[in-house]
Amino acid sequence: MSYRIPIGPYHPALEEPYKLELICDGETVTDAIMHIGFNFRGIEYLAERRNYLQGITLVERVCGICSNVHSLSFCQAVEQLNGATPPERALYIRVILGELERLHSHFLWSGIAAKLIGFKTIFMACFTMREKVMDALSAISGNRVNYGMNRIGGVSRDIDDVSVVKNILDEMEREITRTIIPIFLKDKTVQSRCKGVGILSKEDALAMGAVGPLARASGVAQDIRKSAPYAAYDRFEFNVPVETAGDVSARLVVHALEMIESCKIIRQALTTLPEGPIQATVSSAGKFKVPAGTAISRAEAPRGEVLYQITSNGTDIPERVRVRTPTFMNMATVRFTVIGQELADSPLIQASCDPCYSCTDR
Amino acid sequence: MSTETNGFENTLLQLGLGEGWKWSNGSWWLTPADALDVRATASKMFQLGARFLCITATECADKEIRLDYQWDYEGQLLSFVVVTASGKIATIADISPAADWVERETHEYFAVEFIGRKTTLPLMTRAGDPIGINLHKEEAK
Repeated sequence: MSYRIPIGPYHPALEEPYKLELICDGETVTDAIMHIGFNFRGIEYLAERRNYLQGITLVERVCGICSNVHSLSFCQAVEQLNGATPPERALYIRVILGELERLHSHFLWSGIAAKLIGFKTIFMACFTMREKVMDALSAISGNRVNYGMNRIGGVSRDIDDVSVVKNILDEMEREITRTIIPIFLKDKTVQSRCKGVGILSKEDALAMGAVGPLARASGVAQDIRKSAPYAAYDRFEFNVPVETAGDVSARLVVHALEMIESCKIIRQALTTLPEGPIQATVSSAGKFKVPAGTAISRAEAPRGEVLYQITSNGTDIPERVRVRTPTFMNMATVRFTVIGQELADSPLIQASCDPCYSCTDR
Repeated sequence: MSTETNGFENTLLQLGLGEGWKWSNGSWWLTPADALDVRATASKMFQLGARFLCITATECADKEIRLDYQWDYEGQLLSFVVVTASGKIATIADISPAADWVERETHEYFAVEFIGRKTTLPLMTRAGDPIGINLHKEEAK
């Protein structure tokens, strides 16, 4: 018998508010329809009503997890228009912040995935590590969520004491390699819940424009940090982990391996952090009035590529601010991953796409 | 322009993406002499393996909508611009399924009719909601 199950927008099976209608034949999902927009805040419109400096603060509120990458992308786009080139030290600090943000986001996702799998010990382990990353972010920026670090032409704060970050790197790498990766790869409970579940084929990932760890777990070797490097990413050696299975298990592995790579990048950046200023010399007029034109900036958020398009009409307020977030591309793939799957697996499959609806709805 | 992008317009020409590519502020922009065929250009992009990224809609002074299409080809950002005619433009969602959601969003906020779509189900709005309800228009009321 075919029946339709409406889930959401507010439901214990969903990590965030969206609505999913699952069409089932018995316990098997045969189709899925998704509705979004429940977190709509009109951020693009609001950014077109504020000056560029206010815009930085605003776009940092697009997301409560990857806040830094939004202000970074916004500033990078403005820097292309007004020609403000951040000093080398500022570019390194942007990388360090970006990778710390990736770490705490991936620890969060791994913990939630572990909870949904039914492995709460790993949930606790992940969140313990996440707290340490957030403590480091707090020590650098003074904040745990919205760091206020990016400025047009650089960053607002220096990293005075690199040991704040260095001290947690060894512990994180040890925890990831000794605990998290072995359990994600070998534990029977994890394997039975994740292996072969929620498969997104490479063809579907490419056709739907999937990005980030979701795409990389389906064999799409795409990462803006490598293909179109920004900040100081082209100065560091790191790998882009890619798995080909496309299932929930592959997503777990990609996230875990990416955390190792983030530690590697941060260690290189701290070791080679150049001396010098953290702000380009930008006149007050340059900060507020941006030459007319359109600029596009991209960055690799924890969930994948973020794109900002800013059109200036030469005044202090942007004419158009466009924000395209990774989840906006990734969540359309949920339909492909749940069809043919057990209804009971659908919460884990959806969560394995690492959705962020604050980002998606803007 | 960075040294990495110098000469890439020749590559784009060799790939069959036509003449008139210019680098500006983070992207290659196609500005052909004649009006652009959005479906033909999207088809070429898709066949080359370019990755669809986004459509940015902006309302023009004459009430038509300017649509900026963005693609990624081997890390290079490729953009082209089309303007709707009486609020209509051909869909590319059948060529690149990745464009489905952004076309639906653009339809809801800017009332752009994407010709050729089989269905345009509500995405950000709900069934029965009016279309073209972007906040700029609400503010102007």
